[in-house]
This record gives sequence, structure tokens and C-alpha cells, in this order.
Amino acid sequence: MMTATLTVRPALGERLAVALFAVIALFLLGLAGCGRGPAPVTPITADAIPGLIDVEFHGVSADHKAQLARLGEVLEDETVDEGGFAADQLLELRVDPAAEETDLAELRKNADVVFAEPVTRVSALWVPNDPDFAKQWHLRAAGATQAWDATRGQGVTVAVIDTGVYPVDDLDASRIVSGYNFVANSADARDDHGHGTHVAGTIAQSTGNGKGVAGMAPLARVMPIKVLSAFGGGTSMAISDGIRWAVDHGARVLNLSLGGGGRSLAMEGAVAYARRKGAVVVCAAGNSGSRGVSFPAAYPGAFAVSAVGPKALPAPYTSFGPEVALAAPGGDKTLGEEGGVLQETLAEGSTSQFAYRWFQGTSMATPHVAGAAALVESLGVTNPGAVERVLTGTAREPAVRDAEKFGAGLLDAGAAVRRVTVVWAATRLALALFGAFIALGHARKLSQHRGGAGLPFWTGLVAGAGALTALAPLGAARVHFLSAVALPPAGMGLHWLGMPGTSMAASAAAWIGWSALVPLAFALPARLAERPLGNAFGALAAGLAFGWAGMLLHAALWRTVLLPGLPAMVAPLFVGICAVIAWAAGRGLLSRESLR
Amino acid sequence: MKVTGKVEKRDLEGGFFQLVGDDGKRYTLLGATGELKSAQGARVEVDGTLDEGVGIAMAGPQLVVRSLRKL
Repeated sequence: MMTATLTVRPALGERLAVALFAVIALFLLGLAGCGRGPAPVTPITADAIPGLIDVEFHGVSADHKAQLARLGEVLEDETVDEGGFAADQLLELRVDPAAEETDLAELRKNADVVFAEPVTRVSALWVPNDPDFAKQWHLRAAGATQAWDATRGQGVTVAVIDTGVYPVDDLDASRIVSGYNFVANSADARDDHGHGTHVAGTIAQSTGNGKGVAGMAPLARVMPIKVLSAFGGGTSMAISDGIRWAVDHGARVLNLSLGGGGRSLAMEGAVAYARRKGAVVVCAAGNSGSRGVSFPAAYPGAFAVSAVGPKALPAPYTSFGPEVALAAPGGDKTLGEEGGVLQETLAEGSTSQFAYRWFQGTSMATPHVAGAAALVESLGVTNPGAVERVLTGTAREPAVRDAEKFGAGLLDAGAAVRRVTVVWAATRLALALFGAFIALGHARKLSQHRGGAGLPFWTGLVAGAGALTALAPLGAARVHFLSAVALPPAGMGLHWLGMPGTSMAASAAAWIGWSALVPLAFALPARLAERPLGNAFGALAAGLAFGWAGMLLHAALWRTVLLPGLPAMVAPLFVGICAVIAWAAGRGLLSRESLR
Repeated sequence: MKVTGKVEKRDLEGGFFQLVGDDGKRYTLLGATGELKSAQGARVEVDGTLDEGVGIAMAGPQLVVRSLRKL
């Protein structure tokens, strides 16, 4: 189902962002104490609606009205009161599309024009401009459109362990990282079959580039690992080596759209290794059309994916069984060619020509889940177990309950992203408030502290708890200055430095963030004051400490993060202890307050 | 090993050939793509070797084709 595009009316996220930006801009303008420069130039882009112009005047004189009448027809006319400033007049104008550029230039020359710009299509949800996105029922069924406003998988590397990946036109070559070819033992992991490239397209096809089709996590990086021959077959040894190589080279999600009926200790060990190292191992359940999940999907530590068609019913070919974790769109061509999954790959029988092709199979379902895993990981969820729990916990209920065919249900990437940003923000905030109220109540009982806590305190608490991630679905992926709030403060290193474990700096940032160092760094200097809560910094430090404690406690209880070099079992314990330390740092500032 | 049966194209995973064997098993055929294309629907005898059975097809044992003879 396509989201209807609206004209003129921006999404709430953009409106908030624009309002915030306007406030900051006006503030800076006031600081500078200077007059207005020439009206800014907004270029006419592909999103522009031909012949529609928005123009804002500082008061409209008769001369202006004459100019407007000459240029075209005024469709809307409203007064914009910014408060404190003289009211402006915002008009929407229909002009001759052919003369739009010159009309805009003429308006911008007018000293009373605040801005004149082409009207662009803005939708409630970001709908990519890739022309054949409308045919990709499978991406919408997987909830991708609902996820893309918050994240597009930036910072996460997904290994495609398959027939290789060919850098086709609609795959951003700069997002394909170095891989390896275990069939030919070389660094050239280009596809000579077409399967791996199709799978890579579902994960990270270039999206919003005005060309072809879209992918689940378009800003994720793809690591091509070739373990299957040009005929699509391989050995368990090559696959095991590929799994280990990918994890050792920074892949956080592994996509294994392959399988077989025989158990292999080497492959089972490799899957366990990858999981232990923090990777989500997403595997195709198999295409037998019968009960019995293939390997590696059936190994412990693998996340097995079954396939459904456009009607969200099990595809006729899908394997099923108790190991199935989740169902995702894999296509069902019994409903016609367009019941398949559409991505760009090699043309049939070619190793150099490209084509957009409809494939079906559990191999096609798997990368929808791998892409969703990348979206969740990009929001700072580094524990593979937590990523899997988010995906299964937010899965949609299928029409028929059948755990062997659907696992936990139908993949819903939008719901998964909402849980991590909105629901977890609320949980962290609740835990932070709980801690703060205990501390405040305790301090009052001991008559150590009287009175309220003040705005800086609550600001620190809300920020420290990472409650702002609740704003991420309003447009963190498209409004630049909202992008940092998609992550809780402890995980923000990921935004600038990448995934922990991929570099020393990223690992150090994770360790610092998920410890009590930041709240302590604020609390210690705040303690120098006789009454820490009496000044804004001290109050902020105390609030931040309780907020941080709530964030750490959430991460410990929900086991959301791994720390580089620390066993997965120990990380929540460490983070939990740090939560107590952070809380004590805040409590310490309250007691300091009163004893004087 | 030699297996006789009917060649069938499966529209799965971008397409692959299977041999519906007279022994009741379905073999995914690897290699000889050109010959298999022209042998679609025909009864054949395939001489080949079974590999580990791991690949994109995930639909039964895999037979690497050495030679193919129409019956």
C-alpha cells in the first residue's frame, strides 16, 4: 500500500525540526545584530511541483501585489506571526512552469522578500523516489517504509555470504566494503551467478537515488563473501571460512541465503563463533516445501527465516520446523511474476549485464530480516540476542497461528525500530525517574534536601536517560541534526566512530558510554560547590547521573549491548553495576546539598 | 553415479534445474546449464557426483553433472 503523498504540508517531524531550526536561526540573527541579507536560493529539485512557488514578504505593499499579479495567480495568502517581529505574509503562487526560475530570481531581488522557493512534495513518511519502488510490495510488507524515517542502517556492515556481489548500477559501490572469494581464494568477490547480488539488493539497494528499486537498509555497508560457485553450490569448509572471515573483519549481521540437508561440525562451530563475537546470523530455512529446516539455519545461534508471499501466507516452497524464528517476504510466483521479490542483479546467463529480476525463495526472505537487523543495530543495539528479541517481539501476528511456519510471526521492521526508539526511551525515562524519586525522597526524609529540583535537573535527567530517541521516528534519518538523538547518549559513539569493535576509538567510546564515567565526570566537579543543586551545573549533573543510571539499568535488564572484549554474559552485569554507581553519584550530590 | 529421470526447471532462487529421479528423489543439478536448458522436460541419464549438498537451492541433494544423455 503506497503512502499518499501530500503537497505543501510537511510531516510533523519536519515541522518540529524546521521550527527548532528557525528558533536557533532567529536567535543567531539577533545575536549578530545585523539586517537581512539577500533571500536564500533554494534550487528547483526533482521533488518540486512545477509552477508552484512559496514566497514570504515582510509586509505586502500595493507594489508587491502588482508584481505578484503580473507573475501569476495567488493561491494562498496567510499572515505568519513569529511573535516579537513584524508579521510576515506567506503566499503560494501559481506561475508559468517554464518561467519559474526567472520568477523566483525576480522575487528574490525584492528586499522585502524573506524567501521565495519552489513548493516540493513532502510526504508523511519518506517515500523513496526509486521509480519501481511501487512494485516492491515485499519491502512495504516488511515494514521498511515505517523504519526509514528513524534509520537506514548507517554504520552497520552486513556480510552477504553467497555467490558474491556484483557492483550493479543500483548498488552504491562506495557502500560495498572489501570481501573475500573463498571459491577462488582471491580478493575478487564479484558475483558470477546473480543470486548474491539479488540478495545484497534486498539488503542495501541504493534508495532514494531516483533509479530502479529500494533496499531494506540502504545506508548499511555490504561485505561480499563468495563461498558458492557460478552454479550456486559450495562446500561447508568454504562457508565456515567465510563466516569466520566476515566476523573477524567487522560484519555485524551475516546473511546466509544458502543451505543443505547435512550437518557439518565446521559450519556449526563457525555459526557459534559468529554469534559469540556479536554477529546476528540470519539463515534461510530452505526450499523443500516440507518440514525440516536446512543447515546452517537449524544450528543453534542461527536465526532461521521462512518465506511468505504477498498475501502473508506461507510460500508453497518454504521449509518449516521448530527452528523457524521469523517469517519474511520471499515471494510467491504462483500469484504471477510480480508476486516475487524485485531487485537488480545480473541478467540471466550474463556476468556483466544487469537486470531488475523477480526472484522467489527463502533466500529472498532472509535479506529482509538481515536488513531489519541492520536497522535495529544502527540504533545502538549491539547484542545479537537483543536484536533477535526485538525482531521476534515486534513481529506481526499471522492470519493463521503456526509457529513452525511463521516462527514468532511476520517481520515488521517499522515496529522493531519504534520499539527501540520510542518504547525503550519511555522505559529508560521511567527507570531514571524511579531512581531519582527514590533518591529525592530519601534525601528529604533525612532532611538533607528541601524544595524542588529545578529545570536543569530534569533536563539532565531526560537527556541522560536517552529519552530523546523517542523523537527519532520523526525524521532522524533525513533531518541532519536529529540524527544524533536516534541513539541513547551512551551509544552515541556509534554515530561518529562506527560500531564498537571495528576501531579502537569506537570500542573506547562504547566502554566510556556504557560505564559510569560520564556522570562521574559531571558529578565530581559539581561536588566542589557547597550546594550542588543551588547552581545550574550541579543540578544538571545530578539529573544527568539519574538519567544515565536509568539508561544503564535498561541496557543491563534488557541486555541490549555488548562491550568489546567482554563476554556477552558479563556485559549486563558490568553495565548494571555502573548503573548503581551512576545513581550513587546523583544521590551524592543531593546529600552534599543538605549537610551544609 | 548415474541417475535417470526427468529434467525440470524450478523457478526458485532465480532458477535452477532438478532431476526428478526414477529413484523417487529430487536432485539439484549443478553445471551443464546449456545442455539442461535444451533438455527441459526430457528424460535423461545424468552421470555425475553428489557434493555436500550445500547451496542456494536448499531443495534436496546436489548432483554435479559430468555428462548428460537424452533417453
